[in-house]
Amino acid sequence: MRPAASFNSGAFRFALMIAALFALGSVALLFVVERTIRSYADEATAIGLKSELATLAHALPDTGMAGLVDTISHRQSTDYEQPFQYLLVDARGKRLAGNLPANAARLGWGQLQFADDPGGTGAAGGAETFQSLGTRLGNGAILVVATDTFDVQKLRQRVDAFTIWSGIGITIIALIGGYVIGNLFLRRLERVNEAVARIMAGSLSERLPRIGMSPEFDHLSKNLNLMLDRIGELMEGLRQVSTDIAHDLRTPLTRLRHQLEGLRDYDSLDAYRNGVAAALDQTDDILAIFRALLRIGSIEGGAGRQLLGPIDLSEIAERVANLYRPLAEDQGKAFIVRIEPGVVVVGDAELIAQVFANLLDNALKYTPIGAIITVSVDEADRLPTAIIADNGPGVPALERDKILRRFYRVDTSRGLPGAGLGLSLVAAIARMHQADVRIGDNNPGLHVQLTFQKDVDLSRKRDVEF
Amino acid sequence: MRLLLLEDDEATRTYVARALTGAGHVVDTCETGTEATVSASKTEYAVLIFDRMVAGIDGLSALRELRAAGVSTPAILLTAMDGVSDRVEGLNGGADDYLVKPFAATELIARVAALARRPASIETVTTLRVADLEMDLIRRTVTRGGRRIDLQAQEAKLLEYLMRHKGEIVTRTMMLETVWSLHFDPQTNLIESHMSRLRAKIERGADVPLIHTVRGAGYRIEAPAV
Repeated sequence: MRPAASFNSGAFRFALMIAALFALGSVALLFVVERTIRSYADEATAIGLKSELATLAHALPDTGMAGLVDTISHRQSTDYEQPFQYLLVDARGKRLAGNLPANAARLGWGQLQFADDPGGTGAAGGAETFQSLGTRLGNGAILVVATDTFDVQKLRQRVDAFTIWSGIGITIIALIGGYVIGNLFLRRLERVNEAVARIMAGSLSERLPRIGMSPEFDHLSKNLNLMLDRIGELMEGLRQVSTDIAHDLRTPLTRLRHQLEGLRDYDSLDAYRNGVAAALDQTDDILAIFRALLRIGSIEGGAGRQLLGPIDLSEIAERVANLYRPLAEDQGKAFIVRIEPGVVVVGDAELIAQVFANLLDNALKYTPIGAIITVSVDEADRLPTAIIADNGPGVPALERDKILRRFYRVDTSRGLPGAGLGLSLVAAIARMHQADVRIGDNNPGLHVQLTFQKDVDLSRKRDVEF
Repeated sequence: MRLLLLEDDEATRTYVARALTGAGHVVDTCETGTEATVSASKTEYAVLIFDRMVAGIDGLSALRELRAAGVSTPAILLTAMDGVSDRVEGLNGGADDYLVKPFAATELIARVAALARRPASIETVTTLRVADLEMDLIRRTVTRGGRRIDLQAQEAKLLEYLMRHKGEIVTRTMMLETVWSLHFDPQTNLIESHMSRLRAKIERGADVPLIHTVRGAGYRIEAPAV
């Protein structure tokens, strides 16, 4: 069992946050309850005092002062707890009835400290706070009615205590609940984390478990898994490429080594010179492989994108075709050029020229004497299209996708010079131009078609693929 | 000719300097961009050869500084960076030529020669002449010993380029760059096919050949030594 998350963990912080929220809510509740009770109690006291005063004053004309004194004395002498205390003084200030202290003889609202009946319900028999209301009677006498606020205080205290305790309780429940839920969630995350750690440690085929809790989290883990798939593909591509590079460079380097080894045994200067020249050629071939690889790499890395602009596809095709025509004729191959003038695409003129050069290079290299090589450029289907086709042996259908890969060579071509990078470069350049490369059958022969976009969004980054 | 070479890698510097000296040039070498700018502004050189990537002030910045200071000596940038944008940047920075490493010494020598003798104003020349071979640049006609030779457009361009650099080696990549505006080496004997056609037309019926193959380097058009 994994140890519980520490106080620093997300679960604990989550719990703390929720608890703090509940505590805050409790404090607010306490405040509101307190305010409500107080205003209600104040109002109730005031109404009680007013009505008592009104009752007494109303009876005055019927009973006279003596009757009033009698009533007050009577009320004060009853056994049950008296809600009111009284004071009646005549116009000269002499006490006529009531047991409130003399200084309570004030008109209007007032407050006074007063210990009513010792041994009664007062707080430890001490002084209590009284709310008083005094009025002047018709004959100049002052009548004061007062009531203690003790019951209200008690109610307030009880409600306060209740609110505080339930606030604390709710907060503790929130703390525990938050911690448990947070921990539950973290434990699920932990499973994902462990899976990530295993993947990083080399278990590359492993994928993340579902996080659970909600569809959003599952969506996250699904996306992360898709990302892992993509990374896996890229790593596989990288591994493939580096293996291929190592493998394919070993052959020319071995040949170079043999040549240099052979040089040691030459005794004539001419033979020696020829040997050096051959070794240099071999070195140039190796360097050419590196150059092609670097070019593919930099094109796939997006270099030169800022140089793209409108270019004349027809002119480029014409120019490169003219460059290759004499060699084709020397090799006894027919060269047919059908180029519709003025076909414009967005791109890099030099790289597009390289595409034509590489495709024509291949067409010349892999076709026998008497072959017919066709170069055509048109905009027939609204999209600029370039086709380079031959009637040579072609490429088996199963291998047509593979020949765009780095270092891939069709078995029958292995005896011929080359490193299998020409078409990879074509593919990389086409991708950069958002052009579609289709390797097809010319019945017989190879048919390579490049279809360009009419409007290329240059700002859009394309995926780098191997 | 007096050349200034900026290159911080000692092996390359020695190799390049030796090759250029072997071709009859006087080569001053330096290792930092600062040294290069000082030397190039003090001394009159025929061509500056700057490695683009040297520690501190790199070759391209040094060249920019010189151009800003009004030094217009022709310059070649040597570089390991083979991207299209790299070349454009180099040429915008004031370079007249751009050579990607690794290169053959013959390539550099040929390019230095081509740069150093770059005529001040090409437009004033209307006729190119090598021995009895004549090219009229206005009427676009070529004659050898008075006999009219019909050339295709690119054959004519190729011949013009050779004749403008008569006596100098013109490499295959230089031809590809100038005649076909291609900045890569297609690795096949394309140029050989073109040259054999051109030769067949130019040299037919003539006693002495004018176009010479320079082994491992390129071609040269030259009047026979009398």
